[in-house]
Amino acid sequence: MSTPLKRRRSLLWLLVPYVFFLAALPLVNRVHPVVLGIPFLFFWMLVATAVTPLAVWLAHRGDRGVRS
Amino acid sequence: MNATVATSVFGVFMVLTVALGLLAVRGRGSGGGLADWSVGGRSLGTFFIWLLMAGESYTSFSYLGAAGWGYNYGAPVLYVIAYLSCGYAVGYVVGPMLWSYARRHGLVSITDLVAHRFASPWLGAAVAVLATVCLLPYIQLQITGMGVVVTTVSHGVISLNWAYFIAFLVTTGFVVVSGLRGSAWVSVLKDVLVIGTLGFLAVYVPVHYFGGYGELFGRLVQHKSQWLTFPGHASGGLGQTWFITTTVLNSLTVVIFPTTVAGYLGARDAEVLRRNAIWLPCYQVLLFVPVLLGMAALFVVPGLTGAGSNLALFKLVVDSLPGWLVGLVGVAAALSSIVPMAVFMLVIGTMWGRSVLGAVPRLANRQKLWSQLVVVLAGVSALLMTYEAPNTLVRLSLISYEGMAQLVPMVLLGLLWRRLTLVGAVSGLVAGFTVACLLVFSDQDPLCGVNAGLLALGVNVLVTLTVTYLGPRSADPRPDEEVLAEEALGEGRPERVVGEAV
Repeated sequence: MSTPLKRRRSLLWLLVPYVFFLAALPLVNRVHPVVLGIPFLFFWMLVATAVTPLAVWLAHRGDRGVRS
Repeated sequence: MNATVATSVFGVFMVLTVALGLLAVRGRGSGGGLADWSVGGRSLGTFFIWLLMAGESYTSFSYLGAAGWGYNYGAPVLYVIAYLSCGYAVGYVVGPMLWSYARRHGLVSITDLVAHRFASPWLGAAVAVLATVCLLPYIQLQITGMGVVVTTVSHGVISLNWAYFIAFLVTTGFVVVSGLRGSAWVSVLKDVLVIGTLGFLAVYVPVHYFGGYGELFGRLVQHKSQWLTFPGHASGGLGQTWFITTTVLNSLTVVIFPTTVAGYLGARDAEVLRRNAIWLPCYQVLLFVPVLLGMAALFVVPGLTGAGSNLALFKLVVDSLPGWLVGLVGVAAALSSIVPMAVFMLVIGTMWGRSVLGAVPRLANRQKLWSQLVVVLAGVSALLMTYEAPNTLVRLSLISYEGMAQLVPMVLLGLLWRRLTLVGAVSGLVAGFTVACLLVFSDQDPLCGVNAGLLALGVNVLVTLTVTYLGPRSADPRPDEEVLAEEALGEGRPERVVGEAV
């Protein structure tokens, strides 16, 4: 039998993309500072895109032990 | 000269596409059942699933619409990247859940799943009709998208009407025979070309037109800073609130979107889907390329308006590259229409073959045949409507995503919560769909900056809960194991008692 969702704590990592893409938006909706030549909002969106696979990977790593 | 070369390259690759799609089922005979055709016999590994699902999400919109939005509005186009990334994260949980549920009960589509959960074949049939109405416009979008691209790269040698027909012919040519497996094989060709050509363009365009990224970004910051933050340039209310609400709604919807579910069900095991949820978000980096090229086009080909702005990317390419390379970019864009279109048609076919026609006892033993027939029918009707009544489907497409979103409570809540009744789920769906239609067709989307589909989903959930609690209890005698997803069962009772004692 499997483990119910609420006991799989590491799934909380899956909220990280929402924090990066959405919760942070009011703070990052700006042109400056320009990072590596890239306007800030677009730079931030690139960061968020790169962080997403990492967050899912962390969820997966923590989840393996709990899931059955 | 250039036109001849580009057109020939395109022609060769279209033949190759059909051949590849058909090769996918070589040696398997025609004996396989519906599940073999609809969900590839649930046998695809991490590699194929990654290609297939990336292939589904990277449609002709990515080449045309993304560049066009980048050109017209700027920042708001980032919602595509945001919702797909968030959606893949949610898919880490939902994908394996739907996969194991479908596998345990031998289900082949989202409508099949709903029919099983609520023990109601007619609900499956009704949802199939609703989903078809939402999906048909997407087929047309792919047909017209591919048409525009083909006409442009062939310098008009292939007329728009012929290009539409080729889109239909190539896609139907393989998907009827080889189903999901064929789509996965064609995805391989598609992804090699998409990654290759976009990678090249990401370097070529800035260097050729601007002398490098520094200069491109420099000019954007200096002259087009309005494009670089929300709400973008003249976007008509696509501000931060719109971005956030749309991303939330779409990221929940994409995981139960019938075509996504077809991809899930094709997986060999649940672990494939979990690994896939890690690797799929990487593909989104590619979406920045058309967005950027669309904004670069502001300096190179200013003054594009309306449908013309959708060609922002191709305007940069067609006149400055050699014919064969233009042909390849065109093929990559065409395949970005063909692969999603194949899966859309396949899903419509499966839903009807199983849940609508399959629900009629006299027809039930030929489900695969009916599905294949419906694939052709769906393709033909989308093609005919493209020729005869293009605006009907364009108007319908406005409701497609926000309408499909209204299935979220029925599917996800349904699989996790036993108490949810058929009456509750249906009432919610009807209420949500009605609100979405009312707002969208009266041009009130977004409403006060909020995505209308999310408002409709709120109403949907509220009605679902109210009717479930106040209405009659379900008389379904089956045990929980038969009805719910494994994730909702489990043996976690003791911990809960401790928690409540505190």
